[in-house]
Amino acid sequence: MAAAVTGVLVTSLAACGGDDDGGGGGADDPIVIGSSLPLTGEFSQPGQAAQQGYEVWQEMVNADGGLLDRDVELVIKDDASNQNTIVADYNALIGQDNVDLLLGTFSSLLNLPASAVAEKNQMLYVEPAGGSPELFSRGFEYLFFAQQSTADRQGLLFAEYVAELPDAERPKTAAYPTLDDPFAMPVVNGMREILEEAGVETVYSETYAIDTRNFDSIVSSMRGADPDMVVHGAQFEDGVGMTRAMLKGGFAPDVLFQTNAPSFRQQYEDSVGPENTEGVTFGVSHSPEADSEGNQEFVDKYEDMFGTREVPEDAADAYAAGQVLAAAVESVGSIEDQGALADWLRENEVTTILGDLSWNEDGSPTGDFLIGQWQDGVPEIVLPVDVSTAELSLGWKPGGAG
Amino acid sequence: MTQLLQTLILGLLLGGVYALAASGLTLIFGVMKVINIAHGAFVILAAFITYWIWDTFGIDPLMGIFITTPLVFALGWITYKVIVAPIRTAPMASTVLLTFGLALVLEGAMGEIWGNNSTSIRPSYVDESFIVGDLFLPKAQVYGGVIAVVVLVLLWLVLTKSWLGRAIRAAASNPDSAELVGIKVAAVAALVFALGIAAAAAAGAITGVLYPFVPGSHYQWIARLLAIVVLGGLGSLNGAVLGAILFGLAEAFTSTYWSPAWATAVPYAIVFAVLLVRPQGLMGTRLREDAVAP
Repeated sequence: MAAAVTGVLVTSLAACGGDDDGGGGGADDPIVIGSSLPLTGEFSQPGQAAQQGYEVWQEMVNADGGLLDRDVELVIKDDASNQNTIVADYNALIGQDNVDLLLGTFSSLLNLPASAVAEKNQMLYVEPAGGSPELFSRGFEYLFFAQQSTADRQGLLFAEYVAELPDAERPKTAAYPTLDDPFAMPVVNGMREILEEAGVETVYSETYAIDTRNFDSIVSSMRGADPDMVVHGAQFEDGVGMTRAMLKGGFAPDVLFQTNAPSFRQQYEDSVGPENTEGVTFGVSHSPEADSEGNQEFVDKYEDMFGTREVPEDAADAYAAGQVLAAAVESVGSIEDQGALADWLRENEVTTILGDLSWNEDGSPTGDFLIGQWQDGVPEIVLPVDVSTAELSLGWKPGGAG
Repeated sequence: MTQLLQTLILGLLLGGVYALAASGLTLIFGVMKVINIAHGAFVILAAFITYWIWDTFGIDPLMGIFITTPLVFALGWITYKVIVAPIRTAPMASTVLLTFGLALVLEGAMGEIWGNNSTSIRPSYVDESFIVGDLFLPKAQVYGGVIAVVVLVLLWLVLTKSWLGRAIRAAASNPDSAELVGIKVAAVAALVFALGIAAAAAAGAITGVLYPFVPGSHYQWIARLLAIVVLGGLGSLNGAVLGAILFGLAEAFTSTYWSPAWATAVPYAIVFAVLLVRPQGLMGTRLREDAVAP
């Protein structure tokens, strides 16, 4: 319902004096880049973080001379987490705002329709947070995902770690509650496949709808199944809701892996209680502490603009998407032929704050996702070992038992 | 057996909170024939006010109901006088549009004041449960359920045992005759609107403790609440309570014995099924013009 009204909310981040007709063609005109983000509604948490990431990227690019020696302007609309609104938004960005370039939105759910609009208009579409394999099975030529891997591989390292544990240490049973979402489900399914192959018996596997608020009944069922390990495919609100329901139900499996929610650092800690984070593992694309190229400059700038070094993962992903777009534009030297930008990305590697990214023909990335774990109130990177900031210590210890 | 009992308890506790939130919506419709689409937004507004009171003054969020409810009651009164009263007698579509607009304004205002990030209220007992044998009874749910029952009983007593209640019922059933016997229907309507919003506020304080929320959470609430009052019978307080409990039980049992994927859909299917058999809802009264219609 909000779509019709909030969809027209336009947050123009453009500097004063911008061209009313949108993208300019002159050598001195700014390059206008359009995006629509879920600034309100279900995905407002990550949507606003992504907006921050784009803002930081814009500031840093412009401070460094812009793209092709032209300033960058952003036009960001609010899609209210609605799949219909986002289609209207990207059509408006291209047809009415006449933007020069596009950047993607948050979540596979919204990137699915938005990327189709970009593809139809033959515009490069680098998206920061849409890892569903479904996105890359449509033969699109202009779509690129600016993270390390697609969703089905995002829990891979952790699942392999558990699978390779000695029999005595490996969980015997697992539960897989999952949000019905094109991002969350592939993560869980990918992990489940590996764990089942390793002999970890599935004792509970259910999906739930996006408007589920009450998780007590799901927890009651899981409690009855008594799994050693829970792999939860979630976004933020439901991730928090499920964890709280588990705590209320006195249900604390030995191992808890969640997608998304635990990577929200302070917000996650505030929502589930700092004493309950110990040992929670999660897939993550970025760490503010990582020594990847440009990362500390990004974190410094984020702190300048938003007052904290607790950078949300989605802000970092959005920044990286900007880096990928910038690399293609600067290397090709023009924004006129967007097919050439896409071809360049398919053939080259881009250094970002998430590490070096490269892509398959279908625009899916070729790398491995990081695995994080909350340890002593701090989210650490524990896998892969060569970039880890702490050693993985298996076990969820809610209530400060750690 | 344990699983069955556990599901029953969780469903009843959930239904109790739904009942409190739905009671105000059905009350407002019963007296004024206004479908208040902004009702869910008032639930979330109360949750945010409760959060602010808890975060700023350290007042227990459930005790904070004594502050939140009068505040929102006053807001409801003002809202009625300024926004609803001028078009109260307009066609129902006008009030639906008006209150939908109000919901959007409230959503925007909450976003401006508290931000669009997820908010959680975490009093000390939020993760604790009463353990009875193999059963767990989440403390926050139990406290919330008790408060919901107390508020609903008080509301029922006011409506059935007081002069005010008689005035409200008279204004609801025949406004013209009520005016003739000295009841100021306009004043009663304002009071009922404010009372209904206050009931939403009490529910909002409880749900704020139970679940994380964002300004946009009101869409999920209004969808559920409308289904509940339609199931129970528009305008019937008893019907809203019955509908809410059935809704809560349907969600809990579907999640446990079928699949969580269907937990939010099955209750709506039940609403459709009931309406096919009883178009006026479980406890709604069939209007004379309906009864004579072919």
